[in-house]
Amino acid sequence: MASVKLTDVKKVYDNKVTAVHDFNLEIADKEFVVFVGPSGCGKSTTLRMIAGLEDISGGTVEIDGVVVNDLQPKDRDIAMVFQNYALYPHMTVYDNIAFSLRLKKMPEDQVYEKVTNAAEILGITEYLTRKPRALSGGQRQRVAIGRAMVRNSKVFLMDEPLSNLDAKLRNQMRAEIILLRQKLDTTFVYVTHDQTEAMTLGDRIVIMKDGFIEQVGTPTEVFEKPRNIFVAEFIGAPKMNLINTKLEVSGGKYYVNPFGARIEVGGEKGEELRQAGVAAQDVILGVRPEHMVLADANSEAAIPCTLEVNEMMGSELHLHVYTEDGTRLIVRVPTINLTLEQRKELVYGKKLYITFEGKVMHFFGKESNLNLIYG
Amino acid sequence: MKKYSDLEYLKLSKGQKLLYKVKSFFCAIPQKILGLFVALWNLIKNACTLVKNEAVDIWSTFVNGDWKTKVSFLVMGFGNLARGQILRGLLFLLFEVVFIGYMILAGGYWLSMLPTLGTKGPSEEYDFVLDAYYTVYNDNSFKILLYGVLTIFFIIAFVYTWRVNVRQNKLAEQILKSGKKLKSGKDDLRSMVDDKFHSTLLALPLTGITVFTIMPIVFMILVAFTNYDGAHDGYYSNLFTWVGLDNFNTMLNWNVSSGGGSVQSYAATFGEILSWTLMWAFFATFSNYFLGMFVAMAINKKGIKLKKLWRTVLVLTIAIPQFISLLYVSKMFAKNGIVNGFLMSMGWITEALPFWEDPTWARVTVILINIWIGIPHLMLITTGILMNIPQDLYESARIDGANAWQQYSKITLPYMLFVTGPYLLTSFTGNMNNFNVIYLLTGGAPTNPAASSAAGTVGYTDLLITWLFKITQGAESQYYLASVVGILVFVVVALISLVVYNVLPSIKNEEDFQ
Amino acid sequence: MSENKLLEQNASTIQKHHMGLKASRAMSNTAIYALLVAISIIWLIPFVCILLQSFRVESTWQVGYVIPQKWGFDNYINLFKTDFPRWYTNTFIAALVTSVLQTIIVLCMSYTLSRFRFKLRKPLMRLMLILGMFPGMLTMIILYRVLKDLGLTQANAVPGLILVYIASSGMGYYVSKGFFDTIPRSLDEAARVDGATRFQVLKKIILPLSKPIVIYTILTAFMGPWGDYVFAQYISFGTSSGMNVAVGLYRWLNKDQIAQCYTMFCAGGVLVAIPVTVLFMCLQKYYVEGVTGGAVKG
Repeated sequence: MASVKLTDVKKVYDNKVTAVHDFNLEIADKEFVVFVGPSGCGKSTTLRMIAGLEDISGGTVEIDGVVVNDLQPKDRDIAMVFQNYALYPHMTVYDNIAFSLRLKKMPEDQVYEKVTNAAEILGITEYLTRKPRALSGGQRQRVAIGRAMVRNSKVFLMDEPLSNLDAKLRNQMRAEIILLRQKLDTTFVYVTHDQTEAMTLGDRIVIMKDGFIEQVGTPTEVFEKPRNIFVAEFIGAPKMNLINTKLEVSGGKYYVNPFGARIEVGGEKGEELRQAGVAAQDVILGVRPEHMVLADANSEAAIPCTLEVNEMMGSELHLHVYTEDGTRLIVRVPTINLTLEQRKELVYGKKLYITFEGKVMHFFGKESNLNLIYG
Repeated sequence: MKKYSDLEYLKLSKGQKLLYKVKSFFCAIPQKILGLFVALWNLIKNACTLVKNEAVDIWSTFVNGDWKTKVSFLVMGFGNLARGQILRGLLFLLFEVVFIGYMILAGGYWLSMLPTLGTKGPSEEYDFVLDAYYTVYNDNSFKILLYGVLTIFFIIAFVYTWRVNVRQNKLAEQILKSGKKLKSGKDDLRSMVDDKFHSTLLALPLTGITVFTIMPIVFMILVAFTNYDGAHDGYYSNLFTWVGLDNFNTMLNWNVSSGGGSVQSYAATFGEILSWTLMWAFFATFSNYFLGMFVAMAINKKGIKLKKLWRTVLVLTIAIPQFISLLYVSKMFAKNGIVNGFLMSMGWITEALPFWEDPTWARVTVILINIWIGIPHLMLITTGILMNIPQDLYESARIDGANAWQQYSKITLPYMLFVTGPYLLTSFTGNMNNFNVIYLLTGGAPTNPAASSAAGTVGYTDLLITWLFKITQGAESQYYLASVVGILVFVVVALISLVVYNVLPSIKNEEDFQ
Repeated sequence: MSENKLLEQNASTIQKHHMGLKASRAMSNTAIYALLVAISIIWLIPFVCILLQSFRVESTWQVGYVIPQKWGFDNYINLFKTDFPRWYTNTFIAALVTSVLQTIIVLCMSYTLSRFRFKLRKPLMRLMLILGMFPGMLTMIILYRVLKDLGLTQANAVPGLILVYIASSGMGYYVSKGFFDTIPRSLDEAARVDGATRFQVLKKIILPLSKPIVIYTILTAFMGPWGDYVFAQYISFGTSSGMNVAVGLYRWLNKDQIAQCYTMFCAGGVLVAIPVTVLFMCLQKYYVEGVTGGAVKG
């Protein structure tokens, strides 16, 4: 159990490519932090620098207040779960889990106790004498976690541990990791490219792109107050709709006019805009699909558009529509709000009207791409 | 030449595409050569900057360093000792003492003799007491050259170590300034099996390679610029000495200066042997490659039984030492050998076939026997790769309507060529230097009288490598000539490799395989 | 047409096709069997001949027939009246020591180049590539002279030979590096995180997983000296007691000796071939794995 502190951490490869730029982050004791971002954003590299598997080109990594830059992985007191599990194929499950304990020269009876204990928690007791080859993906994953668990190390690192599992198993293991976290009560650093995993697991999420940190925050923060367009689009599925429009001020009230409609930015959002002193300007307006609703034709706030694809997801419909100027939008409509008749009409070419309220809007600067309120 | 974009290229007909490819290949050659020079220039430039940076760094270390550092410039390891790194310090010091001792006792002499390679050869002296002549051995050119090279290597090693010593002082000062502790001898020993483990592992192999490969090669390259041969062996007979580029002149000169009409120039002989060497390498490599692949495919075909048996029969021939099988097979094809005996007893021929007597027969026979030698290897190698080709490629090709030949030429072959590209190259150059097969089969026979007039006994099946071997044999032992041939072989191999490396797709990124 | 009928028709065309396929496959399989039998015969004939001739006692000279008219062990018995046992011992010692030391060196080299990323790695590999383009024979001239000065030639050729064989063996790292490259690097990383030093990673993770390549390396390292001619010829320099089997037997096929020694050569050849062949057959599986696993990755 320990805090981790990264100060100006940098990774430059031999070919002068910079994978991570001045990375600053403080991870508190027992915190669960998730690094998330598209592939090649430097999240794994950062994790591997914490682990000591990559050289640190600049800056310092501290674990529990000690600079570990020059320490070998074995001396950093960390545990790690790899994407492809990295189980030793020539050892049984028992030997795999016991490997690190034996390297520490722990007496064999204690090793036995620890390994069986971990196996019990993970439900792999009956496979202890098998070789990894004879296990399924989920079981291998558990062994990998077990191997990291028995070490009682200060920091628990996980590098995309679920990405090799199928969707169903992934959901199940995700829940188990949450449980595991309760039991282990240690510091976690978790890397994933999947925003759902990040949102469900993390106390805090670090969103990265091209080696830079885009935003650090709790799941709620990054969802509700995305700092820029990248974060806004990356978090949430389907991704946020972006609309080029004008923010207008008239009579102390803010208005937007997407595709000819006129919508007032009321309530808290309007208040926040006022407090931030945002002036009238060209903006990129962001609205999440679930915040768009079907509207009446004769409303001033209604945007006319044409239905292209209707995806039936079960509890909701994803309507892919395009507006009169060809902009494509996605609208998420709960199935339960529509009658069977209405649903039958939602086919290719159907003319629709959509709208949204002021409180769900996000405003981004046209040039800066930054959130006008929180950026 | 007109350059097409990718899409324009796709529109061309097959013939046009081929033409375009050939044209662009040749048009690219000047650019490639230019690129080579640019790379060379950059290399020199980088080396210069490196030297400059090092010099600046050394100077600043001296100027900014404390007195311990300054003393270390003269007494290596002093800084380490003064700062408590006893083990490192002692090693540095020991190395310096050994170096200075060596240079005073021996190195200086060898180095000073290097420009002349000795001035006084063996001579007969008269012993008044015994009333007899005896031989006095004075300078030894061979040893002078050898130890001269060794001394130069030693000096390079010393300069490098001295530089490391200076850098360590600088680092130690920095570390102490930042308030950290220096590594102790114990830490150093521990890091030898951990973070510096690679140095430990490489120490032995690299020492071996330096002493037994690099130094001999440097030595032999130098020999090419001397007149070292059986008559000038530098000790028992005359001294040898530097002759500049004379040997290259002899080897590459088409005009015969002496000996009259019956003597062929070295260049002509060299050219003759080189062309056969290349021809041989080409046929040996590709005949084995395609036939080996074919056999592998036949054995691995679905529905063929006893796969293990067929494979074992072939693998058996790998197990038996080549010198036995080759020598024996060579005798089988001799005039009075089993093959001729069998053919005659069957009444198919009346006169023995001239397998080893006729140049063309000999060359073809050598290539055929090499197929016999090579197929088992190729069968093993290709089997592994063939099994790695994803089966769904074939399934999709069959659904697309490809027949067996199309499947082979459109899927199997391109895949194989991609994966085995580097192997083909090494096997080509390996065949160029395939001493065993030629020497044990024919010994170079039948003799080529015209070519033999130049040097050694040259036969029609002699490769450059066997020729080189022959030159060094016997009383004449023209080592200098062998050196020249060796260097030329290197140049040819290097050129071929360079060209092929630039063409092969699978070499470009080694990490692709990881 | 009803659906059923359509299906039936499809089935029948498929069957027809199938029959055709089967017939043509049987045809091509027969051709392949014929080919394989022919290949087996061609590949085995020399070895059968050498075996048969080693038992021939009616003449020691080459003859135009294969099956001896008189059988006997004379050739084998005569072998022991020559220097052959000495050559055999020389070869065996050289091959055994070389195989152990060379394997260690090659594994050190290839493991390092596969697993460590240090600054000089690429230049080192390039250097070795370039060194490999020089004909190795060239260096023999100087090595012979140096070994002669050290007294390691002629009668004392065995230690000299071993030195020559192992000295540069680091250059032959390609095959085993190719094999090591196929072991995922995350295994090393996991072990290092688990608390292993680099040395422990090698000992506990990599080596247990590399059995095929270790055996392959030992086998090839043994077979090299076992059948080597050039270096052994150079270093023994005509001294019979320092020769290995290749050099010794080669001399028996000289013009002036072949008449007396031809069948003895066959007998010697059989004795030389037997141990390696047995060894090879036992370890064939690993050899094949080594070749297919590492050879072409290089």
